[in-house]
Amino acid sequence: MDGYDVIVVGAGFGSPVAARKCAEAGLRTLMLERSARVGEKVISGLTIPFYGFLFGPDFIRDGNLPIERPVDGIINYIIKDIDSGDMEIDDSLRVPKPLSPVIAFGYNAYCRPFCQWEAEKALEAGAELRTSTTVTDLLREGGRVTGVLTDAGEEIGARLVIDAEGSQGLLAVKAGVREKYPPEVISLADVYDYRMDKEDVDRILGYSLRFCWGWDEQKIAPPLGHGNGLMVWPYRESVHFCQDQCLRMDGGEVPNLRGCFQEYHGNITSKLPWWRDDEAPRAEMRAHMWEGFEIFVGLDARLREMPSCTDGMILIGDAAGLEGTELCDGVPAAWFSAEIAAEVAIEALRAGDVSRDFLRRYEDRIRDHPIIQWSISATNRYNLRFAQEHHDLAELRKYVHDGWGLGSFAHVSTPLLKMILRTLQKDPNIITSWIRMFFRYHYNWLHERYDYSEGKEPPARGDRGRSKLSQILFRKTLEAMDLSARMLSPFIRITARALEPLSVLANPTMKVLLPVVEMLFKGFARLEPATEPLSRKLVEFIRNADPEIFDQPRRKG
Amino acid sequence: MAGRCEDIPGVEWVKGTGEFIRVVPELCDGCARCVRVCLGDCYEISAKKALVRSLERCMKCAACWYVCPRDAIVFSWPRGGTGFRTDWG
Repeated sequence: MDGYDVIVVGAGFGSPVAARKCAEAGLRTLMLERSARVGEKVISGLTIPFYGFLFGPDFIRDGNLPIERPVDGIINYIIKDIDSGDMEIDDSLRVPKPLSPVIAFGYNAYCRPFCQWEAEKALEAGAELRTSTTVTDLLREGGRVTGVLTDAGEEIGARLVIDAEGSQGLLAVKAGVREKYPPEVISLADVYDYRMDKEDVDRILGYSLRFCWGWDEQKIAPPLGHGNGLMVWPYRESVHFCQDQCLRMDGGEVPNLRGCFQEYHGNITSKLPWWRDDEAPRAEMRAHMWEGFEIFVGLDARLREMPSCTDGMILIGDAAGLEGTELCDGVPAAWFSAEIAAEVAIEALRAGDVSRDFLRRYEDRIRDHPIIQWSISATNRYNLRFAQEHHDLAELRKYVHDGWGLGSFAHVSTPLLKMILRTLQKDPNIITSWIRMFFRYHYNWLHERYDYSEGKEPPARGDRGRSKLSQILFRKTLEAMDLSARMLSPFIRITARALEPLSVLANPTMKVLLPVVEMLFKGFARLEPATEPLSRKLVEFIRNADPEIFDQPRRKG
Repeated sequence: MAGRCEDIPGVEWVKGTGEFIRVVPELCDGCARCVRVCLGDCYEISAKKALVRSLERCMKCAACWYVCPRDAIVFSWPRGGTGFRTDWG
């Protein structure tokens, strides 16, 4: 059949990554997107955690993205009595100053500009895009997927289809590749966008995410006992607010969600002290949206093992059930799986074999990806239901601390270390790319600079001249690091390879060392009167720098 | 053709999307789970069966499809694209 090498269904966060990589490999690649403009139907409260950028696609790490705000940590409110304002705070998970806010925990973004940015990058590489085109079915020959059928009745052939349709996964269900998910793994997110002056967001929320957890009877977030919470994200000139509820509560009951969300949203905005006193007078509701997402697929062994490929087709991101259970972070896994899918697609088309037997290597690589596997199987959010059931404050504190506080180090250290060591084996120079990335992202955030946008005017030459010496020092230091990494690259590769098996010890070691780490972080917090001025100096250095020093092309080691 | 709902700000709703969600009456037992999970107020119960009252405020979250215990809800994508658009997701 005359057609494309690869068709990517959807144009959200993952699909442009797959499309770009396929196009770069010389494959004729087409993205098909239902919406009229890319990203205008994607709904999320969105922090993309740092590991997505560190270990994700090069073009994202080295690019200039539309960032809404860097995030340096999480403030957890454990609400004991909303009416009297009795609550505990756990804000232990925070990048210490002076590294914060330049070295960020993650970056907040609006979906539409971000997905558009990614799609533009895929187009630059030679991929094609058709919007307002809904894929209604797959074309099959002898069981093998050979293309797609659109809502206009057009049949478009492809040697391989990458399905990035999103969490509902209608195509895969229709094709009998996967089952419809049961309601207990789906959460419905009720999302609000509030417009606020930037100065108010800076002053009230700064760079912190705010999560609220409390007992059911507090009616502050949908029934917590079923793995739910309330999250508030600061953006540049707005605040995003998300409450979410699992679609089945224990015992099979389905909640009256409309009433539940309305009541709890009312309680938050009128009773939670920091929202009532600080946010409410300054925030103007701009949008109300909702979306379902497959949060707990990874916790169910049977669902997790459902196929992510069939003859002629690979599923990525939410379509493959890869939503993170704790931070609800689907974007890094969408990027990782998209890159792996593109690699396997390229290998398969070169080998002339798109059979499920060949494509199974995609599933193997997903199973072998430390961050994907950790993010889809972390249990603290799910476990909140037990704290609720027992009404045990100590248990609630523990799950919150282990999920969104420093206790998370005892769970995430092994996957992070393993990914760092694997990345160093591929590219011993990666450290300087990461440093440049954090600095460049911060420059871009300060100046509203990103690709395909004019952005704000950079500071006058006089200001930039003032920090000339430090800029030279910054550039020379990174050049020296690059040179050292190049010279030592065989040694770095061998050492990283040798250490990788030992990374399994990182979690248990961190569990033992956690009290020490907690003390260290408390010490950093006490030092803030001294480190805060340094943090401000670092930000001013970036603000006044010539951005080229953060853009330097990296030479592969 | 696009429109707005006063009580759901920041979203444009596109008309002419067709019946992209429908209830199979023979399978529906009127349990009303779909009514309880729908944030767009798209369903009602009539003669002990779920009925799609209007899809004008449907955001295609598919919550109704997920919670139906008898697979009585047929869910597909709307005609002509997404049925809604927003800049604030």
